[in-house]
Amino acid sequence: MKADVPKPEPALRIAARRLLALRPPRTLLLSSLTVILLFCAWVVVTETGLANPLFLPNPEAVARAFMEVSTEGYQGSTLIEHLSASLYRILVAFGLACLIGIPLGVLMGTSETARALLSPMIEFYRPLPPLGIYTLLVMWLGIGEESKLALLFLAALPGLIIATIQAVRNIDPIYVRAAKALGASTRTIVLQVYLPAAGPTILAGMRISLGFTYTVLVAAEIVAASAGIGWMIWDAAKFLLSDVVIMGLIVLGLTGVALDMVMRLFGQILMPWTRKQ
Amino acid sequence: MLSGMVVIPALAAEPPSKITVGYLNLVNAQLVTKNLGLLAKEMPGVEIGYVKIGGGGDMLRAITANQVDFGGLGNPPAAIGLVRDLPMKGIMVLNMLDYVEAMVVRTDKNIKSIKDLAGKKVAAPFGSTTHYLLLKALAEEGVNPGDLELLDLAPADIAIAWSRGDIDAAWFWEPNLDKAVKDGGNILITSGEMAKRGYPTWDVAVVMNEFAEKHPEYVEKFVRAECAGIDFWLKNPEKTAEIIAQELSLPIEDATRMMKGTEMVPCPTQLTEAYMGKSGSIGQFADTLESTAQFLVAEKRLPKAPTRDEFAAKLDVSYLEKIVGE
Repeated sequence: MKADVPKPEPALRIAARRLLALRPPRTLLLSSLTVILLFCAWVVVTETGLANPLFLPNPEAVARAFMEVSTEGYQGSTLIEHLSASLYRILVAFGLACLIGIPLGVLMGTSETARALLSPMIEFYRPLPPLGIYTLLVMWLGIGEESKLALLFLAALPGLIIATIQAVRNIDPIYVRAAKALGASTRTIVLQVYLPAAGPTILAGMRISLGFTYTVLVAAEIVAASAGIGWMIWDAAKFLLSDVVIMGLIVLGLTGVALDMVMRLFGQILMPWTRKQ
Repeated sequence: MLSGMVVIPALAAEPPSKITVGYLNLVNAQLVTKNLGLLAKEMPGVEIGYVKIGGGGDMLRAITANQVDFGGLGNPPAAIGLVRDLPMKGIMVLNMLDYVEAMVVRTDKNIKSIKDLAGKKVAAPFGSTTHYLLLKALAEEGVNPGDLELLDLAPADIAIAWSRGDIDAAWFWEPNLDKAVKDGGNILITSGEMAKRGYPTWDVAVVMNEFAEKHPEYVEKFVRAECAGIDFWLKNPEKTAEIIAQELSLPIEDATRMMKGTEMVPCPTQLTEAYMGKSGSIGQFADTLESTAQFLVAEKRLPKAPTRDEFAAKLDVSYLEKIVGE
């Protein structure tokens, strides 16, 4: 459509175009259709009495729970407070994991020695179930924020490292040779060649890794939390308040989708060359 | 069925192929019944599965998911489950909670009264009997729960947090309670003392309605086996201590002490007004359920509190009456 650009455009405008190109109306329509159908199924199943309201409360009850928790709060904290407690944990842990995982991945991707030294550790702990690690983390770090952040951090890390290693190793060696031939320093090669070329794969790794961080949120907030969406879901489940549970899950899911969109937007702005032709 | 008569399989309804008993990880006569295989004796040919469940919250989930046929619940989770119309009913008393549940406080924190808890980190498994008593005790002394840092921890996690020094006080139960007491703690108040103040806590055995409809005679067998376990507990304290020590991997003296902290109610006594009562005039268990539910409503943990009669309707002592009448 707008394949040939005659003169350079401002980066933001390009990014905006990329974003539009990313979600053409047709796919948006189809996605909305799925959401609408799921919602209708929910209404039908609950209205006809097919579902036990204890297991699946109707949308009205969930909306009521949303309003109540937003205004009056759930056990001392409002929805926003629960949400910010959880997002703080997720973002801090995920941010730390990026700060450590991506450089570590670049290092392991470029150096055989580093890969050999570090991979046993990462390969070993990667498949361990989070709850198994968590007991140890609580013993080592206590019941405060540290152990929760550590669990989320450890969940985020391996995906980032592995995606980064893969990204770096897949770079066409010609790029590196060309840069070297032109007299580029190692620093320049890493910043100007490796990172831009590996960027898209690293971003994909970040998106998957953020999803992984989300999957352990409830587990992380089971132990001695008194706020957090994960804790709210867990606590409400104990009292069989399934409307609050489902409301919490929806809120959690939506924030996950929103964060993913933010990451893709960043990708579009920082790496305009990833645009598909 | 007449007393002492052996059921001829051909005359009885189709027996269940397997029954699953969810039992709470605490010190009561269910451990005796399990250890002596009393249930298996009552039901030859039926596979019996015992599932150890950490606390009331997990038991409610197991019941909701229909993964057990029989379960045990403290009064708060029982009230929650019954208000939520879980398809279950209470059939007998498992135990009355005395000092087997207690609030332990760190000795060097100089906590002498409930009021001293202000500003401290206090843990309890939320939704359990001890969480209920903790909030009741705070209310009685006029302490605002917001003045202390209340933490939701499972009993095993309380033990870990305690040994690290992360918490100042915790109201929970044996066998983990003792570890905290031995590790720089002392008991501030026991659940038994709260019972004397008018807040009894107990565990009740429940059966899934569907199972009870299909296999009423197996509910009787269950009650008979548990009554035999309670009898054994009351008549053979030394052997019982050995069994508990073995089941929970404890030294015998610890088992002996923990045993004394749990009150077992002989099955005939369970049919009196102070406990389950009789068919048509259900006893004080219904009152406790009603007041527990009212409390949970005030705490915004339950949407509504049913009446005493509604709770009484969900306590079915007919099996117990049959067994006691034998």
